[in-house]
Amino acid sequence: MEDLIRIENLVKIYERGEVLALNDVSTTVQKGEFLVLLGLSGSGKSTLLRCINRLIEPTAGTIVFDGKDVTKASSRQLRHLRRRMAMIFQQFNLVKRSSVLTNVLSGRLGYVNPAASAIHKFAKQDIADAMACLERVGIPEQAYKRADELSGGQQQRVGIARALMQQPDLLMADEPVSALDPATAHSIMQYLEQMNQEDDVTVVTSLHFLSLARRYGARILALKDGEIVFEGSPAEIDKVKFKEIYGEDAEEVEVR
Amino acid sequence: MRTPKKSKYVKPRPIRDRFDAIRPRFFAFMLDWMIWGYIAYAVMYFLQRYWWRYVDFYNPLKLPAWGWPVVILGTLEMALLTHAFTQSPGMAAFRLRLVGTDLQDPTWAMRIHRFLRMNLMLLVQPVLFFQSKRGPERLMHDSAATGIVIPIALLKDVIPTKKPRPWFLTYRGIFIVLLLAMTFWLGWLVSKMAPSKLVSGWSYASRIWGELFDIRLNYLFADVNTKGLLFSISYYMAETIFMALFATALGTLLAFPLSFLAARNIMGFSPLGWGIYLIMRFLFNAIRSIESLLIAVIFAVWVGFGNPFAGSLALLIHTVAALGKLFSEQVESVDPGPLEAIAASGARRWQVVIYGVIPQIIPSYLAFTLYRWDINIRMATVIALVGGGGIGTLLFYWKNEVGRYADAWGQVAGVVVAIIAVVWVMDYISGRIREKIG
Repeated sequence: MEDLIRIENLVKIYERGEVLALNDVSTTVQKGEFLVLLGLSGSGKSTLLRCINRLIEPTAGTIVFDGKDVTKASSRQLRHLRRRMAMIFQQFNLVKRSSVLTNVLSGRLGYVNPAASAIHKFAKQDIADAMACLERVGIPEQAYKRADELSGGQQQRVGIARALMQQPDLLMADEPVSALDPATAHSIMQYLEQMNQEDDVTVVTSLHFLSLARRYGARILALKDGEIVFEGSPAEIDKVKFKEIYGEDAEEVEVR
Repeated sequence: MRTPKKSKYVKPRPIRDRFDAIRPRFFAFMLDWMIWGYIAYAVMYFLQRYWWRYVDFYNPLKLPAWGWPVVILGTLEMALLTHAFTQSPGMAAFRLRLVGTDLQDPTWAMRIHRFLRMNLMLLVQPVLFFQSKRGPERLMHDSAATGIVIPIALLKDVIPTKKPRPWFLTYRGIFIVLLLAMTFWLGWLVSKMAPSKLVSGWSYASRIWGELFDIRLNYLFADVNTKGLLFSISYYMAETIFMALFATALGTLLAFPLSFLAARNIMGFSPLGWGIYLIMRFLFNAIRSIESLLIAVIFAVWVGFGNPFAGSLALLIHTVAALGKLFSEQVESVDPGPLEAIAASGARRWQVVIYGVIPQIIPSYLAFTLYRWDINIRMATVIALVGGGGIGTLLFYWKNEVGRYADAWGQVAGVVVAIIAVVWVMDYISGRIREKIG
């Protein structure tokens, strides 16, 4: 299969050189893959995801997305690349005071006529698409409510609808279910799985729970202190590998 | 925080690290020195206030020629003493602590050693700072013999061997209590507090109070001759309200776009943006610190004394600066999550502002505008003092006519009552609207 993303020697240093978040990370993500990132808090999962669409500027290294170098893209090229990379977030990141429909439509901002978007004017087709996206995630009746009136699970569905609006090639999810209860978590993960299988969207998601990673992931990439410590299929993670990934934590629990 | 690992991308910066480590210690020392300078000023004030027969300087900052070196060196020595022997207020303010190398309280020998070493170091320190091979973890006179100064944050896991004394028994606690007591005493003297004058002046004041309570509202709608023309209280009141309304409405409209230029999270993406951000912030802060009364002085000369246009312009300028600052702080405190999400979908930066920032800030903008409206109404009532127009024109007209007309104080009271009524009604209305929004 073809590579969608190729990451080479990616380095990210925070706080004026004091925290090394990613250290020489190199990997590839194939088209149509469902990749799960594992690791402790602060292991660099979020940083890696945000480096791919340059919400965070990498310190060094190259990221190639579908043959185009993201790290060297101009701001215009970057916008065009970002349109093809959707992202959903742990805290949903909806505009709380805007309506659900506006939130979904904002996923389309990269495509629409900029002058019309300045006065909140969207094409009829875009609005119809937005409603279709909401229908797909099962909450069309909430379209005109304010986003903060919805429950956590519903808000994450709005996040998915916003991602669907982009008609992306890649979906990045930054711990999409950490703020949700287990039942809701599975329904959200199933939407990701559905997008992966039916729309051929490549999915890269970070997860906290190994069980979810085993259930949904086709391939797992584990990070520890900014370095890749494991790369392979979920079945390969045994007790020893688990210790390797979460080792620090296990030791800490014993101490305290 | 995670300790950084060695990587070829982390550049060593010995001088800057040293500078960063030494900066809080420098500021802490300067703060202590300033406190002792303040004490010296107070002592001089007390000396000339209570012992003026025996000291021969006339005012507290006029000293004989030998006095200044004595004061400077004396306060410096006292700062060194507090810095070497105690946990000084300056060190507390910059979250530093003097400890032994075992991270426990320093011994007396260490403190004396430290004091002597500091005196010696005053002469050679500037050279040592750049020539020393020591790293940022060991600075200046720090050593096993003299104790070390480290950030309190680094001591959080250290278990103290002694039970700490209650704060009011520590050197620092006593020092601060004495400092506050001295400040109160000094403030009492400097601001010439004399409660007895309230009693001795009563006979004169009681006459005015009597006249003031004889409130005259006969000119509420009827015209009185001011500035050679006929105006009434209600005429000036309308002028006042519209001055405030104009300044608030136009001020908000101007402050709204300008506030984005003064917000770090909007402008901080390019050097040009940073430049604009810094300039706007400076302008807002500078203009905000000038009271609208002072701005009105200029405009009263410019467009005419007593012209409400002058007052409106003064209020407008102050409103733009004050609201711009408040608004930009709101922009800076918006939830960055949605902005990140919208930017990630390939939106332009200004689209992120329209779809991510503005919906988040609208309620607080309205609340601040109403709050500013309250302030402007109040300010518009007195801006006539410097020729800014409005109801104050009438207030100060009657105040100046005291002696010419028997009921002048009653007329002043009538205007004041009208002002109170209008301000109260406006406050009530804007308060209710703010409740609805919030």
